[in-house]
Formats: sequence, C-alpha cells, structure tokens
Amino acid sequence: MNTGVEGKGDRVVALVIVSTFVVLVLGILVAGLLRSHADILRSLHELGVGVGDPAANGTGAGATAVPVAAPGPGLRSPPPSPPLGVAPAVAGVTPGGDARAVALDHGNHLTLLGFLSSGCASCAAFWDALQTPGRLALPAGTRVVIVTKGPDREVPSEVQARATGRVPVVMSTEAWLDYQVPGSPFFVLVDGTSGRTVGQGVAGGVGQLTELVRRAEHDRGAAADGQGAAQTGLGGPARAAAADDVLRAAGILPGDPSLYPRTLDDVFPKGRGTPGPAGVPGDRAAAG
Amino acid sequence: MATIAAHGITARLPAGFEGRIFVRPPVHGHTYPVAQFATFAIPDDVGDFGSGAVQLMGPSDVFATLFEYGPESLGRALFARQGRPVSFAESDFSPIRLRRGIPGQSGTQCFFTESERPFSLYVVLGSQGMRRVLLPRVNELLGSFTISPPVGAVPEAVRAPEPGLN
Repeated sequence: MNTGVEGKGDRVVALVIVSTFVVLVLGILVAGLLRSHADILRSLHELGVGVGDPAANGTGAGATAVPVAAPGPGLRSPPPSPPLGVAPAVAGVTPGGDARAVALDHGNHLTLLGFLSSGCASCAAFWDALQTPGRLALPAGTRVVIVTKGPDREVPSEVQARATGRVPVVMSTEAWLDYQVPGSPFFVLVDGTSGRTVGQGVAGGVGQLTELVRRAEHDRGAAADGQGAAQTGLGGPARAAAADDVLRAAGILPGDPSLYPRTLDDVFPKGRGTPGPAGVPGDRAAAG
Repeated sequence: MATIAAHGITARLPAGFEGRIFVRPPVHGHTYPVAQFATFAIPDDVGDFGSGAVQLMGPSDVFATLFEYGPESLGRALFARQGRPVSFAESDFSPIRLRRGIPGQSGTQCFFTESERPFSLYVVLGSQGMRRVLLPRVNELLGSFTISPPVGAVPEAVRAPEPGLN
C-alpha cells in the first residue's frame, strides 16, 4: 500500500517539475519575442513610420501612406517636417555631364522642383507629367525643374534616358540635403518674388500635384492683390472716383440716404436687420 | 552661393545669378564649352550668345556668355589679350555692340586667351540707362569663375559614377 502511494507521489513530483520547466521555457520564449517586437517597433519609430507614433495620432484616419525611399549611404537623416524658408539655388550637373545652376530668387513666377529618382516606381508618372507641363495644367509661367541625386548616387545614363530636354534636369545630392528631401517623389514650390518656399510635400498622383500648385498660385495672387490695394495710394480726384465706383458697385448711388445719415435708421433701415461689420459701406469699399 | 563646374570652367555664382556650362553635341567637327550666366531663368534652348534669352530680359537683368573657341584660334591677334578683363567700365557698354539690337539694352564683347584657351565674353545689360547699377553685378560675375588649362582637366561632372550606390 505504502509503495503505491509513494509511487503516485513521485509521479506528481515529476509532473510538477516537468510543468515548471515547460513554463520556464515558454516564459523565456515569450520574453524573447516581446524583446524582438520592441526592437522592431523602436526601429520603425526611428525611421519615422512607427505604429502608434504619437506624432501621427493627430492625423487619424486621414493619414495616407507615404512612399519613402531609404536614404543612401552618407545622407544625413532629415527631420520629419522641414521648415519652409529661403529657397537655396539648385546646382549640380546634367545627365549629359554639363553643369547647371538654377536660381530661385528671381522672376515673378513659381518654380516647381520635382525631386525624383530614376529607379523609383512611383516617380514614373511624374517624370512624364513634369516634362509635359501642358498635361499638368500648371499656372502660366510656372517653371519646372527636375532634381535627382548627384552622379555619386544616380546613374547619369538612366536619368538621361528619362530626360526629354524639355525641362531642366539637375543632378545634385546637395539640393536633396538643402531641401531635406525625405524620399522620392517629393515636390517643393518656390515663389520667385520672395525667393522662399511656399509649399512642399509628397503627392500621391499628378492631380494632387497640380492642385497643390494651383492653390499656391491662388494664394499668392490673393496676397498680391491685397498688397496692391494697400499700396495703391490714390489721392484727390482719382481716389474719389475709385470710391464712387466701389459704392456704385455696392448699389449705393448718388443721393442715397446712407451717404447723408442723420440717424441710425438712415444707415441701418428697419426691416433690413442689423448688419454685421461686413455690411458697413466703408468695409465694402475696403474689400473692393 | 552656388558653385558649378564642368569642362574646365568653375563658377561661384553671385547671389541672384544662375548658370550653365555645357558643350553642344557636335554636328561637324568639334564643339567647345559654353558658359552662360543670367539673373533670370535661362531657357534650355537658348543660343550660344543668348538668342532666345535676351528677349526675356527685364531692365534690371544681366546676361553673360563665355564662349570657347578651338585651339586653332590660339595665337591669333583677336585673342592676343592674356586673361579676361579685371572689370568693365560703363563706357564699355553700348547698344551698337549687341548681337541682337533690342531697344533699351546694351552690350559688350571681348576676346582673350586664358589658361591656353581662347575665349569670347559677351555681356548684355537689360537697360543701358541702368548700367551704373548693373555694372557692379557684371564685375562681380567677372571675378567669380576660373578657367583650368585644357590638358589634364577632367571635370568632376563627367566622372563615371561608382557602381552600386543607387
């Protein structure tokens, strides 16, 4: 009897030992997997594409995947959002071995810099579109320049094969560094009047790129109009005539009671409601 | 300040200038380097001496082209001057020195030999009336480029790329 009890007790002890060993081994495996997972996440964060990256939380579902080409050896890592500022000249060589420098701080026009690579699949459509400006429907006068990395990181013959000669193609690794290009395709829009960058980023398609440029041109035009109105500096009869034109356009003709107010009712007649600031004739004139 | 170099010519471009140094594909015989500098956007299809570009100039613009001739020109009287001018004077510019007579513009041209290479330097001012203002820019450009001797000058621009770095 005792022998049977002792035998059972030995089996239970052996089972407990084996179970403990198995649990320990599994624990070590799980710890290893967790550590490996953490290493992968850390690496992704360092590349700026980490899952659950706090910087990306604000973008929500609207965030889109951005094709990022791995920087070549020796390239310094760019910050996640390069600041807009003065646009340095793009200087380098052409695929044919000539030299070319494009200044961006002259002329009253926009310059669109397209940072492309010869081997980048998503760049193919832009190689074609940028060298056919009519297809892009860019604002009149927009200058297009394609910038690849220099001959130290691109094969000139491959770039040459994609260049049509219709727009300048400059090979310049320095320009990629100057503009902190994270990968290709990447686009920078420069206002020649100020010599400053007015927009930059990645476009998923040709349509998005066109829209980016057209919006920048529209904003630039609106700003110029505002500046022009402020700097018109009309005086005397010209100023009076300009004011008459604005009032006439607003429906206020000579003899209108609002021009000779005696009471508030003359300015804000009952039944027309109380206008907001935009309804004040003076503001209309300023807006015009 | 952008620096460009090719075909034995190096230019440290003054602010506001852009430029190109190129050799046209030969149709007959040899072709030699041409360097063009401008304060406005240089079209790709511009002629050696600015045809197609000078029409785009505003009054405050400057265009210059450095044109190299073949070695057969060495020793000829036209290229007897050794080295480019140190600077230009207002009196050097005149509308009658323009290759294309565009009203309001003025130009100058000189021939010289430098580093055993014969050159012509042709400069156009967008406005003869503004030459006093534009001249310092021209003279700054004049001192901004260097010319290497023809033999042994392998421009960095045409070196073969190292394989496997793309």
